[in-house]
Amino acid sequence: MEEFFTYAPAIALLPLAAFVVALVFGDAMPKKGAIAGIFATAGSLGLSLLMLAAVASGEVHHETYYEWAVGDTAGHTAAEGIAFTFGILIDPLSALMLVIVSLIALLVHVFSLGYMNAEGEKGLPRYYAELGLFTFSMLAFVFADNLLMAFMFFELVGLCSYLLIGFWFRTKSAPSAAKKAFLVTRFGDYFFLVGVVAIGATFGTLAFAGDGSFVAEAEAALDGGETLFGFDAETWITITGLLVLGGVIGKSAQFPLHTWLPDAMEGPTTVSALIHAATMVAAGVYLVARMFGYYALSPSALAIIAFVGGFTALFAATMAVVKDDIKQVLAYSTISQYGYMMLGLGVGGYVAGVFHLMNHAFFKALLFLGAGAVIILMHHEQDMWKMGGLKNKAPVTYYTFLAGALALAGIIPFSGFWSKDEILYDAIILGLESNVFLAAYAMGLLAVFFTGFYTFRMVFLTFHGEPRSDAAEDPHGIGWSVKAPLVVLGVLSLVAGVANLAPVGKLLDLDIMFLEGWLDGEYGGLEELTYGFYGDMLPYETALIGGSEETTLLVAAALSLGLAFSGAGLAWKLYNVPEPTEHTQRLGGARDVLRSNYYQDEVQVWLAEGVTLPVARAADRFDQTVIDGVVNGVSSVSLFGSSWLKRIQTGLVTNYAALLVAGFIGLLLVLGVYGGWFL
Amino acid sequence: MIGIEHYIVLSMALFCIGLFGVLTRRNALMFLMSVELMLNAANINLVAFAFYHGNITGQIFALFTIALAAAEVAIGLGIILVLYRNFRDVDVTVPSQMRW
Amino acid sequence: MFPIELSEWAALAPVYILVLSAMVLFVFDSINPRTTNRAFLAGTTTAGSLAALAVAVWFLLAGVGTPQADGGFGAISLFDGQLVVDQLALFFIVVVTVVTSLVSIASYDYMKGHTYQAEYYTLTLLAATGMATMAASNSLVTIFIALELASLPSYALVSILKDNRGSIEGGLKYFLIGALSSAIFVYGISLVYGATGFMQLDAIAENLDADYGPLLGLGILMLIGGFAFKTASVPFHFWAPEAYEGAPAPIAAFLSSASKAAGFVIAFRVFTTAFPLEPTASVIGVDWTVAFIILAIVTMTIGNFAAATQTNVKRMLAYSSVGHAGYALIGLAGLGAGANDVVMGAALMHLFVYGFMNTGAFLFVGLAEHWGVGRTFEDYNGLSAKAPIACVAMTVFMFSLAGIPPFGGFFSKYFLFTASIDAGLLFVAAALVINSALSLYYYSRLVKALWIEEPVLERESLSQPVGLYAAIVFAAVMTVVVLPGFGPVADAAVDAAAAVVA
Repeated sequence: MEEFFTYAPAIALLPLAAFVVALVFGDAMPKKGAIAGIFATAGSLGLSLLMLAAVASGEVHHETYYEWAVGDTAGHTAAEGIAFTFGILIDPLSALMLVIVSLIALLVHVFSLGYMNAEGEKGLPRYYAELGLFTFSMLAFVFADNLLMAFMFFELVGLCSYLLIGFWFRTKSAPSAAKKAFLVTRFGDYFFLVGVVAIGATFGTLAFAGDGSFVAEAEAALDGGETLFGFDAETWITITGLLVLGGVIGKSAQFPLHTWLPDAMEGPTTVSALIHAATMVAAGVYLVARMFGYYALSPSALAIIAFVGGFTALFAATMAVVKDDIKQVLAYSTISQYGYMMLGLGVGGYVAGVFHLMNHAFFKALLFLGAGAVIILMHHEQDMWKMGGLKNKAPVTYYTFLAGALALAGIIPFSGFWSKDEILYDAIILGLESNVFLAAYAMGLLAVFFTGFYTFRMVFLTFHGEPRSDAAEDPHGIGWSVKAPLVVLGVLSLVAGVANLAPVGKLLDLDIMFLEGWLDGEYGGLEELTYGFYGDMLPYETALIGGSEETTLLVAAALSLGLAFSGAGLAWKLYNVPEPTEHTQRLGGARDVLRSNYYQDEVQVWLAEGVTLPVARAADRFDQTVIDGVVNGVSSVSLFGSSWLKRIQTGLVTNYAALLVAGFIGLLLVLGVYGGWFL
Repeated sequence: MIGIEHYIVLSMALFCIGLFGVLTRRNALMFLMSVELMLNAANINLVAFAFYHGNITGQIFALFTIALAAAEVAIGLGIILVLYRNFRDVDVTVPSQMRW
Repeated sequence: MFPIELSEWAALAPVYILVLSAMVLFVFDSINPRTTNRAFLAGTTTAGSLAALAVAVWFLLAGVGTPQADGGFGAISLFDGQLVVDQLALFFIVVVTVVTSLVSIASYDYMKGHTYQAEYYTLTLLAATGMATMAASNSLVTIFIALELASLPSYALVSILKDNRGSIEGGLKYFLIGALSSAIFVYGISLVYGATGFMQLDAIAENLDADYGPLLGLGILMLIGGFAFKTASVPFHFWAPEAYEGAPAPIAAFLSSASKAAGFVIAFRVFTTAFPLEPTASVIGVDWTVAFIILAIVTMTIGNFAAATQTNVKRMLAYSSVGHAGYALIGLAGLGAGANDVVMGAALMHLFVYGFMNTGAFLFVGLAEHWGVGRTFEDYNGLSAKAPIACVAMTVFMFSLAGIPPFGGFFSKYFLFTASIDAGLLFVAAALVINSALSLYYYSRLVKALWIEEPVLERESLSQPVGLYAAIVFAAVMTVVVLPGFGPVADAAVDAAAAVVA
């Protein structure tokens, strides 16, 4: 099946072609570029499935396609010069991610027919072109075989995100949100870039895999006890790893760089589903998984990842509780869920993290598209307090949305339960040994309750009770192009958990953990990029409750499930009534804090206005007065010196002769004194 | 016995006289003559050193110098001629339009 | 690469070609004294210099001067070692002939209507012959003769506009300072001869005698005076602003590029061959590089500072030419610190690039004089509206002279900078940077005048003289393409330098 890999570049190039087609011919095409996009993403999906099959048959694809710069300078550890290349790496992880991305992209393209085309939007060719460009960049990011290429496409998806958030650029809020998203993620990417440079300069390579990968070099440096840039190897690996993590935190909307994501909901809901829930935001987490071997070398970096993840999971979940806008709830839940993934990766649960990434992609895309459907139903109303009673009027939307909600809340047997449970299990077995991980676990566990609560608050407010507005009384119809993706994703949300039924497998001693086997290279893969290999690198010690794996599993599952149910139950009690009322008053002072998102934006604005701006002003004043003064002074002194100096050219040739002789005698004196000629 | 030092002193004196003339004379012809003195100072050196070192390179070169000096004077006189025609004077300080 | 085996005397073929062309013009002039057949005269001059250029390039490529160990023919020594044809000589013959051909092409238009056509071209060719011979001279005798052969026609050329007071004034000053300088130079030769007993450079190096230290030292210093005159370095530079301003623009270009380069080649050769650094220092008690360090710093500073507030464009270029002599002096100032070939190679590169950019700049001034637009910066205001191509070329020259990438001038200056750092001359490097920064001020002033300022007076459309345009555009193109082609030029320069400093 190796010959399939010949087509690997086409996975990304097809959407690129769609981008060009939509941009150039979009206006003339029947669906303004949608058709091109659908065909391209369908092609990408088909090819990605082929890749998946090829990897399943035991093949791995790792090839450099283009070398665009080669440096002579050797790295700190590598003897050879560094080479900057474009290459493709298709292993179990990237093959899986390619399928996820192209599938969601295809579904979103189809959904857009109903959401964008049917609503008579303007600028559709631009929309589809940007969507194509995004898909291209995201897919290329996924199969990138080196960190620099990954960085470049990471930036490109950021650009597409900016363009798409600002799609309705004539409104006031969309451009502002786009700018915010761009700036905040760019702030993280800045650290990422520094990290890329640092890694390249240290190890002389940026490749993810192969003998000369920077992971292998780092491991060798660690084993050799080398000193890198004045630090011992582990500290330096931690520093560079954390620099790269800056980009991850920005892109995956982790605390404290998460503030852009809720604002990004200004973009079309389809875009929110594709970019700001299922794929681009996943890029950060995916990057950690991609270079997991590197992080595995640094327990401190992993602990930070785990703690940030756990904290973000809880933090964002609390904020989601008080939101009125359906998309806002989903936005905060997205942040929270990516927190779980980070937690999973941080505690060494590579499989758990990737598993949740996959499940989340399905159910969150489903929820966003469901929200999109609701928004269509509601004539573009997003406030949940104006909805209600949609259950009977739009059953397809309701049941698929419910499937997504159950998965999100982590109710057995929906997919979200399995992956979240696995993350929490991986966390608790570490937490029993270490306080940091215990704290991270506790936050993750507590977030389960909030997740259950806000999820069902959203469901009940939207679909249950009595209609609370005219629009809810008489919803707009929705077409097949909206329903079909919902159904596909609904089914996936229900069954995707089958991929890795770890608790069941462990309790019944069945070999049904397919994803774990997949990522462990059982079907094929690069030896140094497997779960088992990472597991051996991790220095963690684990403990089990009562010394028994079964007990620990059951306790962990019971805890999280119990919390999820109690959260959902509370929501049911409060909001599953015909005329629900706001209960946020009961939160007292906490309500304002939560509504204001813990004053995060205020803090950041204060940082900009209260700290950066005065510093900038001071620098500006320094520049205006001191620097410019010196510069102007130098120039006027020079010009004055010039007008004085040129006067020695008097125009009288006898003066010239005299000056010439005088200069000559001066030179003679200098040399003569030096050389002792006059003695 | 007249030693090499005497020749050097003579030539240096001649050179300095020439240099003095160059620095003080404003007449272009005098300027030129002073330069000739300096060249001849060099010629004295060359001939004396040729004798001293016992090879005739210096003497031959002195002949070259004399010839080149003549050529230089020819050019110089030409320039002085057009100088006179343009400025009605052979004072080298008169043409001083271009300065600074 | 030699298709036929040439005998050794053929190594001087470029010089012979120049002489022969001059003789052809002589004969033509004597048969037809009042001729105004500019096409024939300029054509012969251009053809002659281009032929000499072609032969010199061919020799370089064929390996004349390349050490025999590297498969070349080795340096060819002629007339009992009085002349030598090696890479250094050929490199500078290339520079000189390139400038000569550019100048003669441009002169076709510039000298239109002038009475003394044949004389002008003959003198140009004879001066070029002198410069080419300077490049190959290997003895103080030949150096002096060649130097005079280059100087005497130059005096006449500067003052060839016999009814133009500026031309006469420039010529007179050039001549008087030149005569004084050559007197000092000859006296220096006589002292060196007295101290060593030899005129030939290698023989001088072998006979450095500690008994005559001060004598030799004074002689060397006087030689430096002669070189400083030829290269327009402080304090022997006083002639340059006036001579360049008064001379016909092509002649100013010729003198400031080719004549300066020729002055440098003899300085390079004399100081590397006749006065090797350490033996000489042990005799005279001081490194002669000290003199060049002082000269380099003072020359670049005075040249650039004086240029900064000029109002006359040609005079600004004249002073900038003094400043560039200061840059090239780094090639001598930095010797003795290890990487000699790189230091001198950098200076050779700079002179090579300078041959294009400075010639082009002066030719643009010539073009402006041809148009009759005036001489000051204000007179140049808004020229780009009428003559965009020439102004683009001039902009290229200005930025390249200032040392802005991606033009050739940036690279040569950058090499000089790194070379002076390598040689430990931090003061020189600092002076180079400061002066380059200052030079950007006055160069960009001209660019601003050309492109941004509004013309003071309404202008009629300007003519497009073919010869001047061709020369300017060619020089501009070379200034730009020397960038991708810099590798070979740099290699040739470093090889040529390595051959003499080794």
